[in-house]
Amino acid sequence: MKSAVSSQAVESTTPNIDGFEIKRRPIVGFGLLMSSIIGSLAVLIYFGAWASSDRIENRALAAGVPESQAEGKWWEDGLMLACPLH
Amino acid sequence: MRNAALWFDRRFGLEEHTIAHYAWVIVAIAGVVQMVGAAIRMAFGVLIDPLVETFGWTPGSIGLAYALMSIVTALASPLGGYLGNRFGARRTMMAGTVLFFIGMMWTSQTQQIWELYVAYGIVFGISQALLLVPVVPAVASWFRRHLGLGTGIMMVSWSLGPALVVQVLAVLFENVGWSQAFVIVGVVGTGTLIFILLFFKNTPEDAGKTAYGTYKTDNPLMTSGNVFVSTQKEFQGFVYKTNAFWNLINIHFLGCVGHAVILVGIIPLGISKGLGPLTAAGVLTTISIVSVATRFGAPVLSERMSPKIVMFISFFGQGVGVFLLLTANSTLDFYIFAVVWAIPYGGEGTAFPVLIRKYFGHTPMGTTYGWQLLGAGLGMALGGVIPGIVFDITGTYTWAIILSAVFSLAGSIAILLLENTRRQLIPNWPEMEAKPTSGEVSSATIGSAEPGIAGGN
Repeated sequence: MKSAVSSQAVESTTPNIDGFEIKRRPIVGFGLLMSSIIGSLAVLIYFGAWASSDRIENRALAAGVPESQAEGKWWEDGLMLACPLH
Repeated sequence: MRNAALWFDRRFGLEEHTIAHYAWVIVAIAGVVQMVGAAIRMAFGVLIDPLVETFGWTPGSIGLAYALMSIVTALASPLGGYLGNRFGARRTMMAGTVLFFIGMMWTSQTQQIWELYVAYGIVFGISQALLLVPVVPAVASWFRRHLGLGTGIMMVSWSLGPALVVQVLAVLFENVGWSQAFVIVGVVGTGTLIFILLFFKNTPEDAGKTAYGTYKTDNPLMTSGNVFVSTQKEFQGFVYKTNAFWNLINIHFLGCVGHAVILVGIIPLGISKGLGPLTAAGVLTTISIVSVATRFGAPVLSERMSPKIVMFISFFGQGVGVFLLLTANSTLDFYIFAVVWAIPYGGEGTAFPVLIRKYFGHTPMGTTYGWQLLGAGLGMALGGVIPGIVFDITGTYTWAIILSAVFSLAGSIAILLLENTRRQLIPNWPEMEAKPTSGEVSSATIGSAEPGIAGGN
């Protein structure tokens, strides 16, 4: 029970889009997406820097040296540098 | 009895439905593709201990392969959607099947950690995108109307399939070892995919049938040819200029961060509150089972009412529901949370195809959906790392729970800022000039005063 429809046998109509135009830019949608990305990066950097700070502090305590003398790994230093709150 | 059935059909609008339609075969195939494609991803946790024992790699370095796979899948999703639109879902999924086989075989023979990263992280990651992204738009093309019903049924298999396959994998790992398990699943999975894809048709027109829900008065939609390619490009250009396109990527991202935090963190959180490992795992299983109801219900409801309302309720419920975890201390508390939270969680992600259809009509949705899955994949990756980082810092999961709520509630606000779904945002996708030749029609249409479903079983 099927209808004999063949897409090859018929011609498509010209799309009725003459003159259709979206002049406005998607500022709201794109802005929301960018806000989420920036917000997420901020959260990641803040918590990452917090974790890095703790790790460096723990290593310093274990080695019995001041925190300023304990060496951080590259990603720990990077996160600390990127976060203005740590 | 017959009169009662007819009354029931009329009362619930079921007279337009029939199970004798090839669209349901496509939905079933999509379910199996989801099951096979997602199995190894879902079972990664089972793989960690055997690899630690065999090679002495750390769980962290093994976990990096999973993170890499998630990110590669996310980044390859727009490509998967585009390829599905351009070359057809079937060819794209065939390419995904070849990569699935290579990824599985290579992973089974892994000796070095970099091989795991390439085989599982990159090859398998791309195969995931090529298998899982085009299948949803392909199912959509089989539904001229009632897309919510088709999507709902497919999404149920999405939830149940991996849960079933994970159990099979666990048994295989136990009995034949991880390497042989990968070989077996790779061979059986590839064979299954090749076999079912033989029956897969990209569009109803490819199969000489009409889409489910096509009225006798409907012209067929354009689905192939040079004009199709150029029109698709032009329409996709319109889609990119809408706020909805970008905001839907954003919403998918926010929702996935919100639930990934919970899905990844619920077992360690439960254990930290004194639950046994099996009991804690049971909480996750309960979430999976309960969420099946709304995975099915959300797209169906979205078609009958506004998808914005359904999605807002789901996101809002997902965000507010996690606060139950702040005071959860007993097994009962956790299981109450699992039931209450799983209801909005299940409905959070399954209405997207219906919303895309409302905004962009019958324009092929592969590229649009692929971009949304990019947002979803990155959201899952971010949400997956939050619980571990937060616990390392604070020794509790409180901040992880709060962050989960913040992301979900931000998603619900973003939904409110979406355009009204009553108005399609771009022109109608072109139809063919010729109407379907009369042919036969399904019994559901005979004698119906309403426009019926053109046949095409």
